[in-house]
Amino acid sequence: MVSKKNISKVNILEHVLVPSHKVLSSEEREMLLRKYNIKPSQLPKILASDPVAVAIGAKPGDILEITRKSPVAGVTLAYRIVVEG
Amino acid sequence: MSQEVEIKQVDSIKFGVLSPVEIRRLSVMEVTTDETYDQDGLSVPGGVMDTRLGTIEPRQRCKTCGNLPDKCPGHFGHIELPVPVIHVSFAREIERVLQSTCRQCGRILLPSDRISDYREKIREFEENYGIVPDQIFDQIKDEVRRSNRCPHCGADKYQVKLERPTRFYERDPDGVLRLLNTRIIRERLIRIPEDDLRLLNIDPEVAHPAWYVIEVLPVPPIQVRPSIILETGERSEDDLTHKLVDIVRTARRIREYIESGASPLIIQDHEDLLQYHVTTYFDNEAVGILPAQHRTRKTLKTLAQRLKGKEGRFRKNLSGKRVDFSARTVISPDPYLGIDEVGVPEEIAKILTVPERVTYWNRDWLVQLVRNGPFIHPGSEYVVRPNGARHKLQFVENRDSLAEALDIGFIVERHLLDGDFVIFNRQPSLHRLSMLGHRVKVLPGKTFRLHPSVCPPYNADFDGDEMNLHVPQSIEAHVETSMLLGVKKHYLTPRYGAPIMGAIRDFITGAYLLTRKDTYLTKEEFARIIYAAGYEGKLPEPEVKKPVPLWSGRQAVSLLFKEDFNYVNKTSVGGPSRDEAEIIVKNGKLVSGVIDKASIGAEKADTILHRIIKKYGAEEGHRFISSFQKMVREFLLLRGFSFSYRDVSLPKEVQGQVEKEANQADVEVNSLLEDWSKGRIKRIPGMSEEESLEAYIMDALSKVRSKVGSLVSSSLGLDNNMVIMTKTGARGSDLNVGQISGCLGQQALRGKRIFKGYIGRPLPHFRKGDLSPVARGFIKSNYYTGLSPVELFYHSMGGRESLVDTAVRTQQSGYLQRRLIHALESLRVEYDGTVRDSYGNIVDVIYGEDGVDPSKSDHGKSVDAKRIVEEYALSAVKKGKPADRQTVKRIIEEHGRLLPVNIQREAFHAIVSKGLSKQAARNVVEQILREYRRALVEAGESVGVVAAQSIGEPGTQMTLRTFHYAGVREANVTLGLPRLIELLDARKTPKTPMMTVYLKTPYNKDYARALRVARKLVYTTIEDVSRISLKSTMAYDYLVIHPVKEWLSERGLTEKDVEKVLETLGLKFNVKSDGSFEILIKTDPQKFESKIRKTPVSGITKVKGVLLKEEGGEYCIVTEGSNLVEVFNIPEVDHTRTISNDIHEIASVLGIEAARAALINEMWKTLNEQGLDVDWRHLSLVASAMTQDGEIKQIGRHGVSGRKQSVLAKAAFERAVQVLVEGAVSGAEDRLLGMTERVLAGSEIFAGTGMVKVYVDIGGFLSRSENNDGGESVAQQQA
Repeated sequence: MVSKKNISKVNILEHVLVPSHKVLSSEEREMLLRKYNIKPSQLPKILASDPVAVAIGAKPGDILEITRKSPVAGVTLAYRIVVEG
Repeated sequence: MSQEVEIKQVDSIKFGVLSPVEIRRLSVMEVTTDETYDQDGLSVPGGVMDTRLGTIEPRQRCKTCGNLPDKCPGHFGHIELPVPVIHVSFAREIERVLQSTCRQCGRILLPSDRISDYREKIREFEENYGIVPDQIFDQIKDEVRRSNRCPHCGADKYQVKLERPTRFYERDPDGVLRLLNTRIIRERLIRIPEDDLRLLNIDPEVAHPAWYVIEVLPVPPIQVRPSIILETGERSEDDLTHKLVDIVRTARRIREYIESGASPLIIQDHEDLLQYHVTTYFDNEAVGILPAQHRTRKTLKTLAQRLKGKEGRFRKNLSGKRVDFSARTVISPDPYLGIDEVGVPEEIAKILTVPERVTYWNRDWLVQLVRNGPFIHPGSEYVVRPNGARHKLQFVENRDSLAEALDIGFIVERHLLDGDFVIFNRQPSLHRLSMLGHRVKVLPGKTFRLHPSVCPPYNADFDGDEMNLHVPQSIEAHVETSMLLGVKKHYLTPRYGAPIMGAIRDFITGAYLLTRKDTYLTKEEFARIIYAAGYEGKLPEPEVKKPVPLWSGRQAVSLLFKEDFNYVNKTSVGGPSRDEAEIIVKNGKLVSGVIDKASIGAEKADTILHRIIKKYGAEEGHRFISSFQKMVREFLLLRGFSFSYRDVSLPKEVQGQVEKEANQADVEVNSLLEDWSKGRIKRIPGMSEEESLEAYIMDALSKVRSKVGSLVSSSLGLDNNMVIMTKTGARGSDLNVGQISGCLGQQALRGKRIFKGYIGRPLPHFRKGDLSPVARGFIKSNYYTGLSPVELFYHSMGGRESLVDTAVRTQQSGYLQRRLIHALESLRVEYDGTVRDSYGNIVDVIYGEDGVDPSKSDHGKSVDAKRIVEEYALSAVKKGKPADRQTVKRIIEEHGRLLPVNIQREAFHAIVSKGLSKQAARNVVEQILREYRRALVEAGESVGVVAAQSIGEPGTQMTLRTFHYAGVREANVTLGLPRLIELLDARKTPKTPMMTVYLKTPYNKDYARALRVARKLVYTTIEDVSRISLKSTMAYDYLVIHPVKEWLSERGLTEKDVEKVLETLGLKFNVKSDGSFEILIKTDPQKFESKIRKTPVSGITKVKGVLLKEEGGEYCIVTEGSNLVEVFNIPEVDHTRTISNDIHEIASVLGIEAARAALINEMWKTLNEQGLDVDWRHLSLVASAMTQDGEIKQIGRHGVSGRKQSVLAKAAFERAVQVLVEGAVSGAEDRLLGMTERVLAGSEIFAGTGMVKVYVDIGGFLSRSENNDGGESVAQQQA
């Protein structure tokens, strides 16, 4: 989906629309999966080729914690698992 | 001999294809003859109407199972076909399989190592995820397509082609096409190893490809194809029966021909005919066939047609069913009813019944109802004995004795009575507020009566609307109707968290008149209206004591407020007098201001009703709005309010002013025309002179209407009955007033003045090319004086357009709504607060980003922390010194940890500014937390459906056409419904791609600098800035490029730039004295010229135009066309803020999360621009669902709905037959977890109250309680 020509030279992580993505450590990962009693595959996904995933060096199987800015809650957390593609 | 029918609960449905073996095993008989009935009208044994196939005749026993019609399930037969026949619906699958396998050995066209790779991958997915993603099979398909020879036996691959509907050809390497007959196809399919089939996403155990070629055809039981007896006594057979007869007949003929050794040509012809009959039997609309017809030319409805589409089985009979205990009639208003009541005609109340179980306590009452019988109103229809025996009272001779026999445990089906809760509904049911629970009030008359205040949620009026009423039949249903569906529970809509109900029309007029400063009432009047409002208390002191005691209207209204109620708001009347411009309620007293739409209207946030509900709860809100409206009703009845011809006639001098206004526009337009004829019109960038002229004229004319509106309205003033209605917001607008009394203004067609019609003129009354206002649809007359024939014609043209527009819009938004519902219906909140689909996949970890239910929010806000702090500060006795910032911070961290951060912040600032003490701060934070918790969503809430409805419902109110801001300045952007559809469709490129480019600091402050950057962006080719011509001499061709100064400077370029470009192209050229460049052409001149023409000089590809805009004190560039990557690379551009309206582009450049955010922003902007209020959380959920898989999925069959796991849900949405075939081939299993599937299967859905399970052994519990002298036996003893 992401072709080479779409890779921008500037740091996209600085963009207002891009929330901060963080790879969860294995302990945090376990905590999350236990909290919601889920398998990783039940989480929303993010492609390994996603520009942000590439920028932070996330590998398939990693779970990303996303800190979204929200007009209703101020800040809210979301999670996505990195999948091939 | 009769067999009992077993009843079981369906857990899951497995899809597959019937094998010939199974078909024969299921069959009770072979159909061998095409005769149906003999001369005596008896069915012929061995025919398609054989009685062994089941019975539907009353009192006739089935020959197979021995049951009567109500118990006989029907039995399949079969037809042995003389030659195999292709099943149309599977033709594509056959094509796919043939293309993917070897024609010699039948193996899949993949090398062994790849096969094992893929098997491993599939196994892995099955283990970890339970399902295998389609992408894997797509990969296999791709790889297979690329192979040319079988890696197993080395045979060449032939190209297989399907000629719709059922013919297969293969092309050998020499390019010769050969027809494949069905026997060969079947043999090839049989040869394929089962393990290879699995790689093609085929489950060979339940759907082997060999079975896609039919050799034996099942004959469905007659229950499926009942014959009907016409009024003439003639028997008419079902379409399927006709088709089956055709098949049997053709099959028989083929056999005869084969036996008699007829010519192969004749046999082939009949084989084709058989194929045709079987094809049309399955699908009479298959591509490439002539649909089979009746003698009457009506096309037959065969199997596929039975399932497909809106009238098909899925949508017509399975997703929704006809119901009993319902009524429908015209509605009419009744302000004397309660808001939550519905007036039911006695006639209807005598037909609809409620089953009531006889108990010790209600026996006497029910006995009386039985005595009354079916014809006297509070009566009853049926009595059911505990053994199930039913007595229809209409036929019971001695009702009295039956009534006497009534005992505990009997059930009386009594008439509908006052106080019963029923579900009331108006179509289209666009949101949950279209079905509300009302209390019955039995009334004389023939229409349903409802209070005008419940019109907004239903979108009902009384111009002939009809509504439906449903009577719950169990105690559980009755309770749910009153507690979950009740009108009282739905004052606040989940769409935006504010009241959708409130005063409308005359109630607003009345409220205004009552609360006007000069409204005073005598004792009798005052007493009458407060009594009507249900006020029971002391009469307050009169405001005026002499000469007669008089009470003000405001005093009356004040009696309805609680003492601690405070309210401030601007009124909609506004106006110069401060008394009317602002409404103030202080400590339960209406101190000043009038009550009008702004403070009591429907579909408004921050009305008095809203504040009361938020402060005291829905019950108090209901009490207030009910009594308030009763008071207003009584007052308006006393005072009277009317509207007459006099109210719309203007005083002479105002008429003159209106005329002057219209003439002024005429003058303006004339001077514009004058300028134009002399070529003095200033061109608007991107427009021709004519277009610019039109834009200026429209701008001038469009002002007239609004000016006249406010002129007329202000000149008539608030003593005019029409103006009272418009200013208070009861009905109509200034524009309407202006059109009635002033002038009608410009009539538009497609957003432009009227140009349609004859050549150069809309009507023959004008000269050709006449651009004057009158000739192009400007109307100076008004409705009061009437229109001239020409004006009327123009007016009708505009009217026609708006009718068409509405019709188109309802269709589009209806389909949008359906897609949204199907995509999101299964999303619900789980007990852990997550939003998940029916298979447990998480869509959002917290619903709507803060976990708050919009219908419990305060117009979107979870809690109004500031208000709570302020109220606390007011009420609490001041003690202790104010806590310092640090302490407040600590308290909030300690007690308010669970609050969203923005609420924490708000609370912090409020507490600090109010200077609360430590203890007070603690209390207040705890209260905020309590209120926040109260606003959280409950587990089981169907948030998906609510979101879908909240976006779909306002869709109908959106304007269809893209709006032009009077033509001047603004760029043309896709807005409204088309834009919303585009976003939800996830179109690859928007219709009008756009970027908003922000600049870094020095460049964004200065117009000139910003302009320079803007010019740099526009994509410019040589042809854009120069005249290009060919020059030929005897020997050579030259291309002459002549740069044009003005064109260059428009884009901030010079001749040098063009020269540089030519240099970089590596071309040799001569610079001529006039500044042009001459290039020697060596190749094809045409090609060379077009190459040069398209050579870019400057700018960014795709950026077609730019527009400078001032926004928040800085300049930014709005571009036409979008190309984020390249814009980011320009140093002057602020790459952290620059955005595009192309969601896919954002996804590929900035990632899926940025795309999600952009999607929400775009939807938000689109809805707000239309003045539609939709809670953020709904948009957030839709965006989450669309981006769940890491890429943007459409709301529709190619996206969210298409990737559902459930076959049934997909089949009920779109392309039923295809979905079923795909499900069958892959051997899919539907576990019936989603909402549609459950409805189709007739079970309870897993959401809301259906999600609750009782983990108690009810059987064991009951048996124990019986032993312990349970409640029932006590009742019996007492009886």
